[in-house]
Amino acid sequence: MEQVLTNGVYLGAQYALIALGLTLIFALMNVLNFAHGQMYVLGGFVTYTVYGQFEMPFVVAILASAVTLAIVGALVEKFLFRPVLKNSEREESSMLLAAGLAFFLDAVILLLFGEKQRGVPKIIDGVMNWDFLIIIPYDRILIGVLAITFIVTFILFMQYSKPGRAMRALAQDKVAAQLMGVNVTRYSMLGFALGAMLAGIAGGLLVSIVGVNSGIGGPISIKAFMMVMIGGAGVISGAIAGGFILGMLESIGLTVLVAYGDMTYLLIFVSLMIFLSIRPQGLMGKPWG
Amino acid sequence: MTTQILNFEDVKLYYDHVYALKGVSLHINEGETVALIGANGAGKSSILRVITGLNSLTEGQIYYQGQRLDGASPDEIVKKGIVMVPEGRRVFPFLSVKDNLMMGAFSRTDKAGIKQTLEKVLVRFPRLKERYYQSAGTLSGGEQQMLVIGRALMAKPKLLLLDEPSLGIAPKLVQDIARSIVEINRDEKVSVLLVEQNSRMALSISHRAYAMATGSIALSGLSAELLEDDRVKKLYLGG
Repeated sequence: MEQVLTNGVYLGAQYALIALGLTLIFALMNVLNFAHGQMYVLGGFVTYTVYGQFEMPFVVAILASAVTLAIVGALVEKFLFRPVLKNSEREESSMLLAAGLAFFLDAVILLLFGEKQRGVPKIIDGVMNWDFLIIIPYDRILIGVLAITFIVTFILFMQYSKPGRAMRALAQDKVAAQLMGVNVTRYSMLGFALGAMLAGIAGGLLVSIVGVNSGIGGPISIKAFMMVMIGGAGVISGAIAGGFILGMLESIGLTVLVAYGDMTYLLIFVSLMIFLSIRPQGLMGKPWG
Repeated sequence: MTTQILNFEDVKLYYDHVYALKGVSLHINEGETVALIGANGAGKSSILRVITGLNSLTEGQIYYQGQRLDGASPDEIVKKGIVMVPEGRRVFPFLSVKDNLMMGAFSRTDKAGIKQTLEKVLVRFPRLKERYYQSAGTLSGGEQQMLVIGRALMAKPKLLLLDEPSLGIAPKLVQDIARSIVEINRDEKVSVLLVEQNSRMALSISHRAYAMATGSIALSGLSAELLEDDRVKKLYLGG
């Protein structure tokens, strides 16, 4: 039992980090970024290159992932989403753009990094064994702690910094925020960069545990959407709750259901459908979106 | 000699396939409270939208303190000292009262000055102090109206634009809000443009007024005189 919970928390922290970026972009711009998983993969490959290939320190690699994805996010907002959102009044336009971007990034990643599964040397060796109740490798503990640290930093930034407050205000009432002097263009770009950066950091952290390959972008996006739907779209606390719930469900499922074959995700999807039919706005979402 | 803080020269706004403003000229003097009255759809809100830069005008010019204003972006206009209290209050519902007020000071960087203004706002609206850490969405309509006026004051405006501050507010509170507007204009030397459907209230607390009908100015003059004007009585004060 303790083992299951520990795995759940570890997985949940990773997932929450992924979901946060997705929900931030949705809250600020009303854009469903289907390319979020690809941004995660790109972050993974940057860390793989910097840490695995160039053998620089892991911290430097994570930083490189963060910066690269922040730049990619900013450029994507400026040159793709901004003109489309400005010129089109239909929501589908930005969705199609995001879907197209996902395929485009898939192709770019395949071209640059190939189709092989890539891993990196362990960041620390050894396994913690707590009385055979909890057995967990040290590197997983480190990655879990790092993920939680990033989540907490992000929350503190959103809650107490001036740009964070402006982004929350922007998400709640765009016109009112504009009337307070918030430059919507600049803050949308900042928000998109930040969201992409969180995906990149998550990809970079996880490459040290599960590796990365060019095909997992889509599935990661789907998981991220599930978390956001469980928690409630556009709500920070919802993304975190959704991440930990999915992590926990997966951890429990993999332990309990292992005897019946790989049906964890089947059950998760079924329960999600039932849950959403009862509470379409998710746990903490606002009913109006 | 009086100086003009804001000046409209033959402003036209084509919006949603119609002319919302068909050539409006008006001005606000430094330190004045000017009321803009008229029925729904007469173009009152369009005037505010072109001042704040939410809409760009189609023809004409707007001058603010002698400088061309139209063409500037909404955030630049706030920095120049023109701040609007939007219709329907529009607090940030999931931010605390404190954070709402701090959002008002978004365009300012003088920390000591912001703190000073905050204290002044909390003295003017003590209710906000009682609810300081509460989410703004949980406040009553009247309290939210105080909050959005306080939020606008946090920007230290030179020209305050108020869009229907009495809409949906209990009659007793309308008086409180009217009194606050008078005090803000008098004590803080803020020029005020007050857009109101409640014409009687607007005329009784303003120096001058413009009455609008279908996108242009129908009447203008001293508010005290307009209150007695037969045409105004008939068209805007309900008989």
